[in-house]
Amino acid sequence: MKFQIPIGPQHPALKEPISLRMTVEGEVIKDADLRLGYNHRGMEKLAEEKTWIQNIYLTERICGICSHSHATCFVQGAEKLLEIEPPKRGLYLRYLVSELERVHSHLLWLGVAGHEAGFDSFFMYTWRDREVVMDLLEMISGNRVHYAINTLGGVRRDLDEIQKAKILEGLKILKERSEYYLKIGAGEPTFVGRLAGVGMLSKQQVMDLCAVGPVARASGVARDVRKDDPHAFYNDVEFDVATADSCDVLGRAVVRIKELFESYKIAEFVVRNLPDGPIAVKSPRRAKPGEVVSRYEAPRGENIHYIKSNGTDKPERLKVRAPTLANYPATVEMLRHGFIADIPLIFAAIDPCICCAERTAELVDARTGEERIVRFSDLRRLAASRAAHSDKRNGPWPL
Amino acid sequence: MTDAEKIDKAKALLGARLIESANPAPHRVFLTVAPGDLRASIEALKTGLDQWYLSTISGVDKGDVYEILYHFGDTAGSITVRTAIPKAEPHLPSICIVIPGAILYERELQDMFGIVVDDIPDPRNLLMPDGWPENNFPLRKDWKFERPKEIIPGGKA
Repeated sequence: MKFQIPIGPQHPALKEPISLRMTVEGEVIKDADLRLGYNHRGMEKLAEEKTWIQNIYLTERICGICSHSHATCFVQGAEKLLEIEPPKRGLYLRYLVSELERVHSHLLWLGVAGHEAGFDSFFMYTWRDREVVMDLLEMISGNRVHYAINTLGGVRRDLDEIQKAKILEGLKILKERSEYYLKIGAGEPTFVGRLAGVGMLSKQQVMDLCAVGPVARASGVARDVRKDDPHAFYNDVEFDVATADSCDVLGRAVVRIKELFESYKIAEFVVRNLPDGPIAVKSPRRAKPGEVVSRYEAPRGENIHYIKSNGTDKPERLKVRAPTLANYPATVEMLRHGFIADIPLIFAAIDPCICCAERTAELVDARTGEERIVRFSDLRRLAASRAAHSDKRNGPWPL
Repeated sequence: MTDAEKIDKAKALLGARLIESANPAPHRVFLTVAPGDLRASIEALKTGLDQWYLSTISGVDKGDVYEILYHFGDTAGSITVRTAIPKAEPHLPSICIVIPGAILYERELQDMFGIVVDDIPDPRNLLMPDGWPENNFPLRKDWKFERPKEIIPGGKA
């Protein structure tokens, strides 16, 4: 008999509320369906009513983990429309924060992966070391989450020598720790045994379903905006695109750990070769009519903004596509023919981290297979009647 | 592949279907096709260009027409295929047969602009809630948000 198991939409552990409905036969997932929109905030509409500078702060609030990536993607495009060129020092500082953000995001993900695989000491280690990079980001920008370092035409804060030394010191610690993680991630037999072969996604499926980021790179598709469509800064630095061919969750973990090293390399390069000069130029208030496609490699993959200006101080249209959305069709494929116990791992592997299958909005009667949607008010009524009976001993069980 | 080579290749692949091509910035190529030729054009481009994938589909309300932009990425920048459909009869062919990953973006277009995507494999709402009133399409320029009266279930009338 086929059952449907709903997962989500709300759970305290989820970064994004999303509803997954799994059709299962025994332990095997036969089909998966997604329902989005629980966190839709109408930001694209709102952006049309905000000025260019206000929109930086709006786009920064699209995501709480990779806040800098949306703001940078928007600023990259807006600067083209406003016809300003940020000074080199400003650019270097902007992408230093980008790379440090990638480090914090990947360390966070590694912890989540460890936790989902039942390896909680790994989770504690990575999250402890993540504090090193969080402290660096706080030192650079003044904030832990929304760095607010971007402005039109450059960045808002400069670095001094003491801060540079501190960043290098922090990177040294992180590098050492990450080598240990690579050893565990790619060599620890129980961890590898849990991740290998889970959530398979072939190279062809990546191409068909337009997956991006570490999900695509773990299936052997070297898709990275930093290499394919580099912004001025990434032409200056040397780095490799990390890929894996195993097409499973293990590959995604290994890709992310390898990317950590590339990010350390880029961050170190920036700190050692920081050019002199101003950090920002003054920006005009109005942009000429025009359009721009801005792309940015966020920790989760390609981030794309389409910005259209109409000659006023506000954009005519801002279209935002976050990388997680691009990975949803691939996720459905990954879940198919997997086991229920792998749902958290597979879902965590694309990095939106839906992990717990406990909270449901639907009850399935196991004996008849009949489904019914139970409204919250009904549940409350049941709970109330249960409470009413509870002070009488041996009262009837309301369910 | 340079931008000029890309435009040449697109011209060879699309032939008479290509209405206009532009290269406003480095790594950015814009191609304009008619909505009727859309599926065939994208299929031709997909087979002709390697490492090609769909990034997203943007819709723009331009007064009397909707402009639809299909943003593709490859190993050397991005190509945008542009088409326009009249607002009075907003019908667009689905490209899910060619690129299965387009489904979410096409559903988003239906939700946000009220564009009817013909032959879409899954026409349900993507972002809008189930009880969303009909003929309300938020990203149309003439749409204004009116906060509905809040009704608290079980609350005072």
